[in-house]
Amino acid sequence: MALEFDRSILGEEFDRTEHDPVAADELIAFARALGEASPCYIEPGPALVGHPTYCIRFRGGKFFPDNLPEGLRQRMSFDAGKDIELGVPVRAGDRITVVSTLHDLYEKTGRSGSMFFVVVRFTMTNQRGELVAIVDNRMMYRGQE
Amino acid sequence: MTAGGRRFDDVLEGDELGPVALFLSKDQVRAYARAVDHYFPRFTDDEGARREGLPGMITPGNMSMGLLTTLVDGWAGAGRLRRLGTTFRGLVLPDRTIRLCGAVTQKDDATRTAELDVWMESDEGERLVIGTATVTLD
Repeated sequence: MALEFDRSILGEEFDRTEHDPVAADELIAFARALGEASPCYIEPGPALVGHPTYCIRFRGGKFFPDNLPEGLRQRMSFDAGKDIELGVPVRAGDRITVVSTLHDLYEKTGRSGSMFFVVVRFTMTNQRGELVAIVDNRMMYRGQE
Repeated sequence: MTAGGRRFDDVLEGDELGPVALFLSKDQVRAYARAVDHYFPRFTDDEGARREGLPGMITPGNMSMGLLTTLVDGWAGAGRLRRLGTTFRGLVLPDRTIRLCGAVTQKDDATRTAELDVWMESDEGERLVIGTATVTLD
């Protein structure tokens, strides 16, 4: 099944979500769950920062755009991986805004047949407008039999 | 946050990170799922995961990324990671030993950064998560 879609939907913002302020104990619980021992991730105080991957807990209000190609909308997807570009660290009290765009859509053929990849980009900024992270979420759909 | 990091001049292409062996318990995975508010059966409960067609509860891909970041942080110094890209190749099942591994693939004198290959493998040596990372060094 060839995937046909209007490429102009790439890069369109389809969601903007502002999250509640980050609590220090959330940053610490996250780091401890990863077994972190670095003081900057687990000790309360002004030096406390979020573990680098803390940002990937933030999502948009909806994960996929409404204009995702029809052929993919009804199918189950799998998390194939993520790419993170890090900006400033997350700190207690930060309000993170996530802007979601459909970044890419492509097909690959592997040993098990064709697969489609949908890349949803989350651009995250804090309340000062500083870039916190750009997270590309790569979702994989298997081709129809 | 970035004090005491690894020095750029002390790093050579081919240097290895780890391996760090880690017994990943179900309770640790549940603690992560709770911390990120993803307390779903597939990450917390064997029976619930089996109902979703999985062999048992699994480790969130995001947690695997976090664990790989601890490897990079431990090697380069906290706050040195600039980029991490991963591919989730296989299910990471808890209550097993995993290994976190990496290697320096390239250095850039102009930016004083290093490119790394990183991966998480099972105790049997199967690479379950693979990726690349960029770190800034002193």
